[in-house]
Amino acid sequence: MDFQKQPHYLGIDLGSSYTKFAVINDDGDVVNSQVLPTFGRRRERFNMAVDLMHKNYSIQKTCTSGYGRNSQKSDIQKTEIICASVGVSQSNPVHKCIIDIGGEDIKVIESGSQGEVIHFHMNDKCSAGTGAFITEIAEKAELEIGEMSDLAQASNANRTINSFCTVFAKTEILGWIFDGVPIEDIAMGIYLSITDRVCKLPIPHGLPIFLCGGVITHHPFLKQLIESKLGVEAQVASHPLYAVALGAALLARKSDSQESRK
Amino acid sequence: MPQLESQIKLKSLLKNYFSNLNGPIAWCTSAGPAEILRALGFQVYFPENHGALLGASRTAQRYIPKAHQFGYHSDVCSYLTADIGAWLMGETPLTKAYGLPAIPKPDLIVFNTNQCREVADWFSYFGREFDCPVLGVYPPRHLEKVTKADIEHVSQQFQNLIDLGEKIIGKTMDMDQLKHVLDLSKTGTQLWQNVLETARQHPAPLTFFDSCILMAPIVILRGTSECVDFYNQLLVELKSRLKTGFAAVPNEKVRIYWEGMPIWGRLRSLSDLFAENGAAVVSSTYCNSWIFDDFNSRNPIDSMASAYTKIFINRGENAKLALVKKQLTDFAVDGVIFHDSKTCFNNTNSRFGLPQRVRDEMGIDTLAIDGDLNDLRFFSDGQSKTKIETFIEQLKEKKPLLL
Ligand code: SF4
Repeated sequence: MDFQKQPHYLGIDLGSSYTKFAVINDDGDVVNSQVLPTFGRRRERFNMAVDLMHKNYSIQKTCTSGYGRNSQKSDIQKTEIICASVGVSQSNPVHKCIIDIGGEDIKVIESGSQGEVIHFHMNDKCSAGTGAFITEIAEKAELEIGEMSDLAQASNANRTINSFCTVFAKTEILGWIFDGVPIEDIAMGIYLSITDRVCKLPIPHGLPIFLCGGVITHHPFLKQLIESKLGVEAQVASHPLYAVALGAALLARKSDSQESRK
Repeated sequence: MPQLESQIKLKSLLKNYFSNLNGPIAWCTSAGPAEILRALGFQVYFPENHGALLGASRTAQRYIPKAHQFGYHSDVCSYLTADIGAWLMGETPLTKAYGLPAIPKPDLIVFNTNQCREVADWFSYFGREFDCPVLGVYPPRHLEKVTKADIEHVSQQFQNLIDLGEKIIGKTMDMDQLKHVLDLSKTGTQLWQNVLETARQHPAPLTFFDSCILMAPIVILRGTSECVDFYNQLLVELKSRLKTGFAAVPNEKVRIYWEGMPIWGRLRSLSDLFAENGAAVVSSTYCNSWIFDDFNSRNPIDSMASAYTKIFINRGENAKLALVKKQLTDFAVDGVIFHDSKTCFNNTNSRFGLPQRVRDEMGIDTLAIDGDLNDLRFFSDGQSKTKIETFIEQLKEKKPLLL
């Protein structure tokens, strides 16, 4: 039997910056994943991607997640916190802490071995320490996002951005540039200040830590900094960018099997 | 939920109240000694009620920036900034709702800092605007225990208020009248408590969001027979709901306690959000704040001093924890939402570790959401929805999510 005709499930994570798609088969294996900038008013690319997945796979159910979860027609909608917890639990069925650093927020999730959310914390009000923060500051410092991790690794500096506010932080970086601070140290400074923000969140003690989200995907060096600041080992979740989309797909599969049991 | 008869009655009751604000008028804080003012012969007007109206009608957003321009910081109480902003712009929602040309002109302004110091600044501003006498009651604050000395301190200030009120009204206060008013207050507040306690039943016949509207009489008509009649009727209606097992939230699966101020401009959408997710907000610190157990007409001044000094907002962290714990048990609550209100530090209890203590001591999950009573710039619909939906799911699914 053509494997594509077997039942598949689609999870869509409509995040503040990017939309991530994950298609899983009935065994829960990811068979397709992709990422697009989250649409503004133009939905063509999004619609094309969804159409293509329906063409290529026999999608039984779709679950949307993320800020835009209610903006699309889907079978079920679940928050990104629930989906991250389920997504990361697939390969890590243990009591754990998930730190999801996204475009506009950071979430700390205490997650049970079966994917249940035990407790969570989500930063509000301000984008400090998130992907949007990095993008804005890096732009001011004329840093390429893709090069930041390599640059920071070459730095021994221990200087962080003081300001909590993205606008003030940009001014602070401008000061660094005027002072002739080397570019590696600027990259390091941005990472250190993110690490600071992350480590100030209420992270439960004694649990294995899993990192996911767009920021850790594009800035792998942050893992090392977070580990040394927290004094514990952390792992990057498999499919870190797609943890929420994967969780959504798994929940779509779950709702399908619950319905067929009825 | 289908409307209660009392909700319809409330409209005419409020219209009647606002249309008759024409005697000598005293302004008073919501947990201030309104009974003394009524017994002296004043009609009582409550600026906080006006602040809540500005929030609920979402006109606050237009007025708050005006107060900022005038020198009030954006972190300052958004009842104050909305109210002063509206005044500076010469507008009030009372015009559209009840045909009042402006807020009623005070003959005496009274505040009680049992809730916050902001009311002192707010009410004093209007004292200057109207060239009106202002009297502040300054009780001891943040008390774990309320002692005899604390009560005497407040009673003395109530006595000063009576002296000043008598001068303004031009006659001495009739003690029997004060006792009568206090009896009405006591009955009103007991009925209000009975109303709120109907939500102890599963499923609850009313939620916090309904109570935020139904509470108007216990704030602005406390000490009148209209208030007593209103809650008597409401209670009859709710009791009949209890008999039929009526659910304010159909399919109630989760019971929540709301700690902190309402988000007035989002009452409806939050009510819908909780209901859609099968969660009933069954009890709250806020609505409970107008239950005054200590009122006793045999000892009117001291009992009022005690009741108004013992209010939740004026208590220390341990006393607050004990009060919240009792509610969580009585109402069989599954989870607590702490509203961290940006401009009301005083009514925000998530900043000194109370949520953690509730979790540790009761094993009940908590969530803090950021927002504000009136200033919706501090509230994110998207983030709050995500947090609330996750929290409700977390409470529901104490069972595994994965297959
Ligand atoms: S208690 Fe809070 S909301 Fe009420 S008047 Fe004081 S600061 Fe404003």
